[in-house]
Amino acid sequence: MTTDSATLTEAPPPEETTEADAMAARLAEAGRAKRLNDRTRKILAYAILTLFVVIAIGPAFYLISPAFRDSVSLFTYPPEWIPSEPTLHNYRFLFSSTSYVRWAINTLIFAGCTTILTLITNSMAGYAFARLRFPGRNVLFFVILATLMVPVAAVLAPTYLTVNFIGDLPVIGDWIDIDTYLGLILPSAVSPLGVFMMRQFIETLPDGLYEAARLDGAGEWRIFTKIVLPLIKPALVVLGIFVFMLTWASYLWPLVAATGNDYRVLTVGIASLKGQFVTDWGVLAAASLLTIVPVTIIFLFFQKWFVQASMAGALKQ
Amino acid sequence: MAEVILRQLTKHFGSVEAVENVTLRIPDGEFLVLLGPSGCGKSTILRLIAGLEDATAGEILIDDELINFKDPTKRNVAMVFQNYALYPHMTVYKNVAFPLETARMPKPEVAEAVQRAAEMLEIEALLKRLPEQLSGGQRQRVALARAIVRQPLVFLMDEPLSNLDAQLRLQTRLELMGLHERLGITTIYVTHDQVEAMTMGQRIAVMKDGRIQQMGDPTAVYDVPANTFVATFLGAPPMNLISGALERDNGQTYFRMEGYELAVDPAVSGIAPDVLSEASGDAQLGLRPEHLTLTSPDAKGLPGVVRFLEPVGSDLFVSVVVAGHAVQVRMPPDTQVNTGSNVRLAFDPARSHIFGADSQNLRT
Repeated sequence: MTTDSATLTEAPPPEETTEADAMAARLAEAGRAKRLNDRTRKILAYAILTLFVVIAIGPAFYLISPAFRDSVSLFTYPPEWIPSEPTLHNYRFLFSSTSYVRWAINTLIFAGCTTILTLITNSMAGYAFARLRFPGRNVLFFVILATLMVPVAAVLAPTYLTVNFIGDLPVIGDWIDIDTYLGLILPSAVSPLGVFMMRQFIETLPDGLYEAARLDGAGEWRIFTKIVLPLIKPALVVLGIFVFMLTWASYLWPLVAATGNDYRVLTVGIASLKGQFVTDWGVLAAASLLTIVPVTIIFLFFQKWFVQASMAGALKQ
Repeated sequence: MAEVILRQLTKHFGSVEAVENVTLRIPDGEFLVLLGPSGCGKSTILRLIAGLEDATAGEILIDDELINFKDPTKRNVAMVFQNYALYPHMTVYKNVAFPLETARMPKPEVAEAVQRAAEMLEIEALLKRLPEQLSGGQRQRVALARAIVRQPLVFLMDEPLSNLDAQLRLQTRLELMGLHERLGITTIYVTHDQVEAMTMGQRIAVMKDGRIQQMGDPTAVYDVPANTFVATFLGAPPMNLISGALERDNGQTYFRMEGYELAVDPAVSGIAPDVLSEASGDAQLGLRPEHLTLTSPDAKGLPGVVRFLEPVGSDLFVSVVVAGHAVQVRMPPDTQVNTGSNVRLAFDPARSHIFGADSQNLRT
């Protein structure tokens, strides 16, 4: 009896231990395999991502080296990636001998005003298309969308002629003309894509909000300013950044609309640094590098809004 | 405070008849409940009164003023929405103050009015919060506060309790009734919940397919339903309907069905003698579960076989098969009965209803 009970109580532990050991071994093996698998996957993912990052920012990176070298050392052989004698000569030249500051101020006015005006016009148009019922609403909306399919170059001449024509009119022509800020800004102050984006975003707001606001006595303007605008803030920020960056880097329209040095913008100004026979590549690189700094900073500053805006649609009921 | 009158109000959405020829008079200060299944047009009536939809035909009057063409912003009606429709970017204070600020009320007066409404609904502690930081019940109170703050002529409530859990619903129901008692504002309340309708409404209007089926005091509607729809929509479990036929023999009308006949006496059944003498053909006998009693197989009554027993604590619901119909009987919880046994269902003929071939109650 005693022996029996002893056997009974002693027998299980070794068995349990082997069972537990086997289980631990199996788990360790599976864990190792998983970790290895995860690591391989991670390495592969980073390799692919790195490749695309190089493709994307390579050209911009390529500007950095020549921007800090004088023009003569640019053509040394073998090529020198890291300048042995870094210099700010290019920047000094840029600020003293060109109108870089003027161009930068012009660009800021051009991009800033265009962004603000676009946000105002597009949110209002988006609200109208999303909420108001008026005859021809759908036709008009499709016409606006259709203009997206017209290449910029195709409307360049008509836009130029229109602005030029307005410039010949009395009074208004003093303000809007070729080589004026308004002549430069106004044709860019509406974006069909922006109207579309605003309309889509405003349509996702629940009807109950408008109805509640109407019963609370609010008219369209009050609903738009007090209810809709605050609720589409993330979309406004995203659209604003897009428009600002696109306008900042736009070339074609400023090239024809601002011919004189007083209204020239950075893109056109930098292009003008390229001489017919001789080009100072160092200065050009320095100017380009300086030009992309502000937009990069703006983007980095607002990037959390990008995420928010893309999440907003997903989480809204 | 105001009297609301709807005259032959009709609303079509394309070929869909959402509201059809509805005529209603809601006296000043009344709490009227529009009751019906989803899609019966009850919410559409609210939206028509609010001005969120335009009527296809008919008139809407508030205090004798035709408001069909008045902008919703000017109608001075307040609506509480099913999903509350609070402005998500505004604090509770801002939400409640919004209608007053829209009306350009001076700031100190706005603050005072918001404070009063907040006290009434016990949301003073929540004024600085955003709607997303509130529970369902709290949101509901904020929506109510926003509605009462500007002292509207009429309150419109579109299933305001349907998003609350059962416990909170009961509590809020009582509070809403208290609020109505205190403010005395004419209220039109839409629900598909018959318990809400029965307990809250001074009068109820039961709707189906855009038409009002019956209107009146909740108890009266429950006791004498106008037709089979109202009979089965009100009550849980609903009224039992048993198919048969009305036949006349020697000046006496009988309701006959397989294995059973009931002599219909005008004095007892409440049916006018001339109606009864003309009635014949297909008919349905209507009996509420609480008006039926299980008796032994050799007693008088509807013969049937017990199929299921459903004890719910306070009652025992017995499902009895009578000539192919499942008939629900409400019995005391300690009733001794077995499934499969033969029984008879006894009832007081005065509590029975007979619905004609057109589904109308012969009593009305």
